[in-house]
Amino acid sequence: MAGKDRTELSNQIRRFRFENNEMTQQALATQVGVSRQTIIALESGKYSPSLILALKIAKSFNVRVEDIFQLVDES
Amino acid sequence: MTATQKNAWFSLAVILVSLIAVGCLYPFIGWKANGALGLCGLLGFGPLFYRKRSSEVVMDERDLLIEKRAALIGYSVFWVVYVLLASFFAPMVFGKAGSIPVMVVQWSVFYALILFLGVKSLATLVQYTKG
Repeated sequence: MAGKDRTELSNQIRRFRFENNEMTQQALATQVGVSRQTIIALESGKYSPSLILALKIAKSFNVRVEDIFQLVDES
Repeated sequence: MTATQKNAWFSLAVILVSLIAVGCLYPFIGWKANGALGLCGLLGFGPLFYRKRSSEVVMDERDLLIEKRAALIGYSVFWVVYVLLASFFAPMVFGKAGSIPVMVVQWSVFYALILFLGVKSLATLVQYTKG
């Protein structure tokens, strides 16, 4: 029997923040309409965003969603 | 701390104060001490934490998800306890042919609220701690 496959989501939000004039977590949070705690949870991988939030984040950095969020298979 | 966290801590504080008040009054006035559960009316001030101040985000999708999960946990615990109490405790205390005093029905509303909100608040805070 195959092992339990778990697909996680990784992201590059922190990297893109620093590449965009060292944007603060609060600035990004205000731009996409969430709290700073949500940005912290996103960056630490403890929370997966909704599709709308993922698109808003990608739009704020002017990149594609796939550039920021990637699927990681943990088999 | 988010508004949801503040409301959870506030709810727990009000519940604790109410239960302590009941415990302190019980030796003096017996079951009438349950009247102190009226302090739970302070829970009505909880929504004040969700006031919008300037451009600050009061509640976002993550907060809503945490609230939803916490409410589900709170309701599940309440229902299990309620079924246990109604199915086993009530017949044991009041007898199969006995009647339940009206005051017990009244108090059970407040204790059900305390149980639900207490578990919900704890579940909320635990979820925020986990991230």
